Amino acid sequence: MAGVKTEAINPDPLLSRQRRSMKTPRSVLIADKTADWVIRIGGLSVILAVFGIMVFLAQAVVPLFTGGQLKGQTKAVLQSGGHKTLTDFLDEYRTLSVAVDDTGAVSAFHIKTGVVINAPSFDFGGQTASAFARTLAGGYVAFGFSDGTLRLGRLVIAVDVIDDTAAPADLRALGTQGDRTDGTAIYAKVSEAQLRRTLVKVELDDAQQITPNGTAIRALDYRVGGTAERPARSFITVDADGIGRVTLSETTKNFMTGKKTVKLTTSELPGLPPGVLVSGVLMTEKADQVYIAEKSGTVYRFDTRSFSAPTLAETIDLAPGAVDINVIGFLIGEQSIVVGGSDGSVNIYFKLPSDTASSTDGYTMVHAKTLEPHSSAVVAMDVSQRGKTFVTADAQGQVWMRHATSEQVLLRLSPGDEKPAYQALALSPRQNAVLAIADNGSAYAWDVDVPHPESTLQTIFGKVWYEGYPEPTYTWQSSAGTDAFEPKLSLMPLIFGTIKATVYSLLFAIPIAIGAAIYTSEFVHHKVRAVVKPTMELMASLPSVVLGFIAALVLAPIVETWIVAILMAFFVMPLGLFFGAYMWQLLPYRIQLKYGASPKFVGMIIALFVFGYLSYASGSVLDGIFFAGDFKAWASGTAGSGAPFTALFLLPVVFIAAWIIMGRVSEVRLSSLMRSNNRFKAGVADLGRWVGTLLIAGTASYAIASVLTSLGLDLRGGVVDTYVQRNTLIVAFAMGFAVIPIIYTIAEDALTSVPEHLRAASLACGATPWQTAISVILPTAMSGVFAAIMVGMGRAVGETMIVVMAAGNTPLIEWNIFEGLRALSANIAVELPEAVRDSTLYRVLFLAALTLFVMTFIVNTLAELVRQRFRKRTAAL
Amino acid sequence: MSAYVNTQAVAPDTTVPKSQPAIRFTDLRSSGEPFAWILGGALALGCIMIVSFLAMVFWNGATTFVPKEIQVVTMSNGAMTAGEATRTELYRPQVLDFQKLTPTQQNIITENDGFASRTLYRVGNFDIYNEDYRWISDFEVTKIEAPKDILLAERVEWGPLIGTLKSITVDGEIILLNSVNDKRFANIHDVSRERRERMSEIEKDEIGGINHQIEQLRLNVRRVELAEGLNSEAFAKAQMTLEAQVGGLQEKYKKLADEVLQLRDLNKRNTATFVEIGRQEKIVQMDALVRIYPANDLDVFGAIGVYLSRWWEFVSDEPREANTEGGILPAIFGTAAMTLMMVVAVAPFGIITALYLREYAKQGRLVSFVRISVNNLAGVPSIVYGVFGLGFFAYVLGGSIDQLFYPERLPNPTFGTGGLLWASLTLALLTVPVVIVATEEALSAVPRSMREGSLACGASKWQTIKYIVLPRALPGIMTGIILAMARGAGEVAPLMLVGVVKLAPELPIDGFFPFVHLERSFMHLGFHIYDVGFQSRNAEAGKPMVFVTTMLLIGLIFALNITAIVVRNRLKQKFKGSQF
Repeated sequence: MAGVKTEAINPDPLLSRQRRSMKTPRSVLIADKTADWVIRIGGLSVILAVFGIMVFLAQAVVPLFTGGQLKGQTKAVLQSGGHKTLTDFLDEYRTLSVAVDDTGAVSAFHIKTGVVINAPSFDFGGQTASAFARTLAGGYVAFGFSDGTLRLGRLVIAVDVIDDTAAPADLRALGTQGDRTDGTAIYAKVSEAQLRRTLVKVELDDAQQITPNGTAIRALDYRVGGTAERPARSFITVDADGIGRVTLSETTKNFMTGKKTVKLTTSELPGLPPGVLVSGVLMTEKADQVYIAEKSGTVYRFDTRSFSAPTLAETIDLAPGAVDINVIGFLIGEQSIVVGGSDGSVNIYFKLPSDTASSTDGYTMVHAKTLEPHSSAVVAMDVSQRGKTFVTADAQGQVWMRHATSEQVLLRLSPGDEKPAYQALALSPRQNAVLAIADNGSAYAWDVDVPHPESTLQTIFGKVWYEGYPEPTYTWQSSAGTDAFEPKLSLMPLIFGTIKATVYSLLFAIPIAIGAAIYTSEFVHHKVRAVVKPTMELMASLPSVVLGFIAALVLAPIVETWIVAILMAFFVMPLGLFFGAYMWQLLPYRIQLKYGASPKFVGMIIALFVFGYLSYASGSVLDGIFFAGDFKAWASGTAGSGAPFTALFLLPVVFIAAWIIMGRVSEVRLSSLMRSNNRFKAGVADLGRWVGTLLIAGTASYAIASVLTSLGLDLRGGVVDTYVQRNTLIVAFAMGFAVIPIIYTIAEDALTSVPEHLRAASLACGATPWQTAISVILPTAMSGVFAAIMVGMGRAVGETMIVVMAAGNTPLIEWNIFEGLRALSANIAVELPEAVRDSTLYRVLFLAALTLFVMTFIVNTLAELVRQRFRKRTAAL
Repeated sequence: MSAYVNTQAVAPDTTVPKSQPAIRFTDLRSSGEPFAWILGGALALGCIMIVSFLAMVFWNGATTFVPKEIQVVTMSNGAMTAGEATRTELYRPQVLDFQKLTPTQQNIITENDGFASRTLYRVGNFDIYNEDYRWISDFEVTKIEAPKDILLAERVEWGPLIGTLKSITVDGEIILLNSVNDKRFANIHDVSRERRERMSEIEKDEIGGINHQIEQLRLNVRRVELAEGLNSEAFAKAQMTLEAQVGGLQEKYKKLADEVLQLRDLNKRNTATFVEIGRQEKIVQMDALVRIYPANDLDVFGAIGVYLSRWWEFVSDEPREANTEGGILPAIFGTAAMTLMMVVAVAPFGIITALYLREYAKQGRLVSFVRISVNNLAGVPSIVYGVFGLGFFAYVLGGSIDQLFYPERLPNPTFGTGGLLWASLTLALLTVPVVIVATEEALSAVPRSMREGSLACGASKWQTIKYIVLPRALPGIMTGIILAMARGAGEVAPLMLVGVVKLAPELPIDGFFPFVHLERSFMHLGFHIYDVGFQSRNAEAGKPMVFVTTMLLIGLIFALNITAIVVRNRLKQKFKGSQF
């Protein structure tokens, strides 16, 4: 190094020889310029990259809130011949649309081109269907006729993969892009040698007589349950006389003969008014609930768990006032019912258990959500097979795509200037296309892109009323077992978890860290400081995975066993230290001076150990006094009274109050007593005063606690409740290890950097070191100490491994210190590896990361600003 | 008061007359002794926490591999259990269990405030008992012995075996033996172990190589197909090469597979028969015994030998039994590789940025804002960097690289998923503020006069930086880099998102072109702790192992930190007094 230096400082020998030409060598200039550019560009790009993190996270989050986008729109004309369209739907790949009219004719067309595709039709034998039902998945259909018969069938869009060579020859020439049709099927390339063929297939069973006297069937719903071998088909019919019937048709196959037998069970629904005008009927898949909606708005809910004896469970008006029910339907999961009214209103109802219900089964329908109304009557609706998205159409020809949980209108689709009267509406399985068929045979198809229909700011940060929940809640429950399960992605429980972990760990860490920092900077010998400080700094680099492991697998079982002793130690140890101090004061002054350094510190350690052991040894006695002998039962609120522990909890505050009051009252007398006696007697007096204050404070706090308890205030149910093994107390302990060194180091630096002359001046004026530390040093360094706390807080907010391992990961919103929590950071670590790229969960987790980023950034910036102010202030002193 | 005098000793300028103690009458309250004790107590508590934490980790870590005595416990109901006593704890027996006890036993417990003591025995023989560990309450025990002939055998599968040796079978011939110290046992054990090693060598290296070649040929065909199309001449050629070579390779493969089969058959003929404490016999193949020793009949050297051989296995072998046994070489390797790559990425960028901020940028509002931001970024949670790494590096960057360079492997991602490279870059981003801050501090500590002197002598700016500033600032920069390494080595949370796995099938470096595979996922010491402690079949069985790993990780990080301090002090010394 030295050689290099010389070279630079002394003129280069080469240069000195050419002294006359003062020109700098080209290589030096080039090197200088290159370095200049490299450093400038490199430096700026690193700074940009670091800020790019925030931008990147934000851009990943934005699509959550953008609703939907219209990608394209096509129109086709079907040969309807004036018949009523019963239903229409689309295939998985958004290539084919199928519609059925009431004569059984099936019309299909290729969405991209509008080319009509030949499809087989249902043969009704010249009849016209008077009622129709289709299952949400599986393509099962049922037709009811005016002669009281009913025919079951299937209408499916069949998809199969065929060899390239099996396709019609002219298709192969059409290139490889997109999907094409030859008028009978749609073909799309899936790989080099394979094609996907999509075509329509129909099946129709024989007619079965449902109404005994041949009354026309007016309304119908149909569900298929059971297994593939033993399907249980159930349907409900309402005939022109207003009589409702539920029918269960079970097919069993004899294993020996292979013969199928169909068993029909039909029962009439009681309690329907005669001649009721029905606008819709609904049945659940398990066939245990049936809803019959009267046109005027009254809905009859039947309990059909017993098929032979159905009962009317509840009668409720779901369209109050002069509004008619125009459309009614289940959302996926068959809990929520969407009701579209003649005034354009769209409301969502579901049933909830209720004590005061007038119903017979203990449930009652509640009006959960009022969605944005259409300007004219709702005429058609279709719901998604994969989520709570649905589409509604109104009499003006407007089609709105909505989401039930987020209550938002995702897209407002309109057919241009026309005002078609829609008869059927369809939402594609992947929620990427909407199809509407009007009475004149016009079919409108919209290509849409709605990536995240379920998320709005309200669903992520606000309370959401999920179906089946008694009230709107903040809920995080992301994993979905079935399509019907709705992921509940509220970040609030996680943000709360982060805050809870931070608050409790700081409550534990701040007193220890700041106390230790003051003591280190003001009271200990510099040799002790030279050992303690670097050790603490070293501790700051302990990997948090290690802390989490120790906390969860070693500490948690120990704390669970010795919980009483550990809780008591929080109170006993400070008492022990006080006691040690008063004993110390009784020592001869000479000894106090001689052993005032390290031996005194050792004395403190001994006091901690002795009183720690005392609280351990007297665990069962204290358990009896405070926790009725059984801590866990006590914490759950099933045993004992809350008063003793409340008293203990209040003791520190009451003690300080009593200390101040005592000081005021007996100030003069005591100080004259102290001045007039020798040190020993003064020490005894001081000890006596402390014991007296403690006794008074103990009595007072017990009295206050008793009053509070009799008023019904109890710590249990709030900060203390049912004990679980991995809880916030453990997290606070473990996080203490991570946070204490940080707060300690920074606070100690701040305290030490208070100019020495302040300390000297204070001492010179006769202040004791204690008075100097508390009245001079601490106020001066306050902003630095505050910054230390903020930095510690930043670390606690973002800490991941400790909370993943020790916190139990339960997303609850309660302050109970003996219950676990789920923090933002832990949630990301646990769920992101499994989240599908660009899914809603993936983006919400990015939002969680962004939230964490913003939270820590604010905390850290505050700390930095305070610290800079502190630096300026100390520099000015 | 006492500390008062102390302060005087530390700082001579706090001039207080020595005669001060002569004052006899003072208000004790002003000295605040009780409150000072509370503060001191906080410091003491902090120290106790740290010391006991480290002591626990190091004690547990260091004693894990010590061969322990195997106790044979006879219980009051006559049942016998053999195992290593691992730990003892107090517990409250369940009410129902308590009622079943004899009055004497009940008395003992009642006298002890309802607590009873119990010991956790590691009984091994998971294949027979279906448990690794068993609690035995002290009041059940009637006798504890330590018979000399009981053995502990560590096996490739099913964890340890505890029992006595009955016989061995060599090439189908049964030899009655009851000591593992016998030469014959050792010989046949060595032979079997060597065969096993040869087998794994063939399976891993040679058969692995053939599979690699076939995979390369297949990918080549796909690449040609993507580039030239199915009907092209090149494709036909590539297809032909594939077909021509695959035949030969498969022949080779078959030969090797046969050899493995032969070795396996040979090994099947060498077995040992053990008898566990409950008189059940267990036949184990010789080559499945990793280590076997008479636990109660070891002299000091024997014990040290077992201890060292276990350590050696730990640091040089691959894990077995879902990471709860064997070694952690891949994790050590992964941690080291990741940390080094991180340094390669972080050092130049961190230093360049600091140079820019300190030497090139105009010092103003903007730069101080940037400085605050960089400072704050050091406090941004590591998991946020992990999220960024996954979203940007793996999915965006990696996805594009796959599209451009590895289309033949799609839809299987090459770089488009977590891996060593992305993990290192993520950690580099995480630690870059540390390096920037440290370097800046070091740069600002270089006296202005030196820069001016150099410039005055006619040196260019870059020459000044290169020859004057950087050498001076080196100690600070080195410290920053080492601290960044320490931080990076201990981080786990972001790695969980960008490429760390519980068991990596292949190391990132191997004998196949291009030798260094940056896209591969890897193992990591910190993640190993999380995984074994939380995800394994039996956390209790993994716990000793986790303690050793923990000790190793803490040791590594402390070593790095202490190195940083030493380097700083050394280089500071070196430059001391060489100022203008």
